[in-house]
Amino acid sequence: MRRAQLGMAMFLIAQAVFFFLLILACVYFHALPRLYVPSGSILTALLLAGSVCIWRKWRWGAIAFGAVFLVGLAGTPFAMLTAILGLFVLAGVIALAVVPVSGLRALSLYWYFFTAVWLIIFGIAGQV
Amino acid sequence: MSDWLCAIDHKRVGILYMLSALLFFLAGGMEAMVMRAQLAAPGLKLITPEIYNQMFTMHGTTMIFLVAMPILTGFGVYLVPLMIGANEMALPRLGALSFWLQFLGGVLLYLSFATGAAPDAGWFSYAPLTEKAFSPGAGLDYWALALLMITGGSVGSAINLIVTIATQRAPGMTMRLVPLFVWMTLVASIMIVFALPALAASLVMLLSDRLLHARFFDPAQGGAPLLWQHYFWIFGHPEVYIVVLPAFGMISEVIPVFSRKPIFGYPFVATSTVAIAFLSYGVWAHHMFAVALGRNFLAIFSAASMLIAVPTGMKIFSWVATMWGGSIRFTTAMLFAVAFLLEFTVGGLSGVAFATVPVDWQMTDTYFVVAHIHYVLFGGTVFAVLAGVHYWFPKLSGRLLDEKLGRWSFWLIVLGFNTAFFVQHFLGLLGMPRRVYTYPNLPWFGALNVISTVGAAILVFGILLFCANIAMSFFFGVTSGDDPWNAWTLEWAAASPPAIENFAEIPTVRSRRPLWDQKHPEAPDWSEA
Repeated sequence: MRRAQLGMAMFLIAQAVFFFLLILACVYFHALPRLYVPSGSILTALLLAGSVCIWRKWRWGAIAFGAVFLVGLAGTPFAMLTAILGLFVLAGVIALAVVPVSGLRALSLYWYFFTAVWLIIFGIAGQV
Repeated sequence: MSDWLCAIDHKRVGILYMLSALLFFLAGGMEAMVMRAQLAAPGLKLITPEIYNQMFTMHGTTMIFLVAMPILTGFGVYLVPLMIGANEMALPRLGALSFWLQFLGGVLLYLSFATGAAPDAGWFSYAPLTEKAFSPGAGLDYWALALLMITGGSVGSAINLIVTIATQRAPGMTMRLVPLFVWMTLVASIMIVFALPALAASLVMLLSDRLLHARFFDPAQGGAPLLWQHYFWIFGHPEVYIVVLPAFGMISEVIPVFSRKPIFGYPFVATSTVAIAFLSYGVWAHHMFAVALGRNFLAIFSAASMLIAVPTGMKIFSWVATMWGGSIRFTTAMLFAVAFLLEFTVGGLSGVAFATVPVDWQMTDTYFVVAHIHYVLFGGTVFAVLAGVHYWFPKLSGRLLDEKLGRWSFWLIVLGFNTAFFVQHFLGLLGMPRRVYTYPNLPWFGALNVISTVGAAILVFGILLFCANIAMSFFFGVTSGDDPWNAWTLEWAAASPPAIENFAEIPTVRSRRPLWDQKHPEAPDWSEA
């Protein structure tokens, strides 16, 4: 599945540029989401747990952690950045449910990437 | 019909791209003609100022996003697998999805007319004009949503082309041996992956401002309109090369075949393409010389903008050197290629003039800019595409385009194009601003504008003749055979039109001219290397 992984890598490069520019603008305008450390840490743990699941090829575990993450994210104050990230995680959860096993490797790149994006957003925007 | 709607074969998807681009080209052309009719004489009131604003916004958006990008993508999707000896794109479903995203984005954009709220802030829609306070209608929401869809489609097709070129090449075809059209499509696709997300980020912020009361671009609430300009042009300047580089690739295929010589300086043409790609990300602020950037920024962006002319100039010299001493056959394809060299050079030179800050200050937002961009995008991209259509039409259809009609359309297009746009340089120098609905009866303004409008009408006639040639030749043209031009690249080894499986047997490649090697086993290219 070299093709799928290379395609995913290209997609993620595009997403890296997209999120870099969005985060930059949000930092510049102090428009970051309000993420409180206790609840944000739980959300972080959920995404990381999802990453571990997908690494171990436990597809349904990753789907479950992703779904709980989305529910938790919906409970945080609305912000453009987290809403967009949430849409990508939702797309990832749906994709996990439908892609064949051969596509899991490429999809794991997707999942790791958006976990990393979340960690960056939480690292910048986390408040005690 | 459903065969086409559900098509994932790269040839069908490529043709869908080309047909949709042609459809939108006719729509964009009609918008241009409405504008030229309105400007034919001082003080005319054929349409309202509001309609005029919608016309120039839709014309620019259409020609960039729904014509230039899709037509080049269409050629890439159709030709790249054939040229690299592959039977299919690497990710065929992604290819089909990308087309429909792009096409439906265009449909959404044009639906705004039906709601009576077409966008009207220009194709680069500067903030804060785009804020809800100044543009309360839904037109800009349509514009932003449509462009988001088109951006998604463009990135998808670019990824597909990159992966195809990286993984599907025929045995022996190293990157040093791929045709230059493939090289330039690859570089343009990589540029799309890096550049279009900047547009997507800008659009998301714009929609947030308009629909969610964010404040990114609203200065009254601490936002920064200049942020839009920076982000837009971080996308926008590479975009110019995204829609020019594959056109360069077409010229790099047409000129050698009709000069009966291999391209002069292949490594320089390929590496200069990479250089253009890198430099194009460092010149975005030359679109913003008129805002207060600071002296050092002006100097840096001015120098970078002049520097990018060097690799572009290298290509021009390579093409001229290829023709030099060759046995040139002036087919219609070659005529368009030679015209491209002349027209694009005019556009390139006026671009270098704009890199000079005081010249830019004097000329910015005048008709000189309109002339420049049309010499680059019409004289460059469209002329190259017309050369490409005449060259590859036999491969797509199995029939030759009519040469007599082709020559008539060529001369009408050249005459109409130069009449319409060359005089706009003088209008700009005289101080006529772009995007004005009408103008006073100042010396030369009326005369030059009527000349431009007559030129545009001739151009339309030439384009219609070209379309008629396509339609007639498709049904009644002379059968072409598989390789009517005695060409050298692999697409001509396939049947015309190609079968579902492009190649019965995947060829092995040992040189840049694999068909030459097949036809001349006594003197193959690879033994010389």
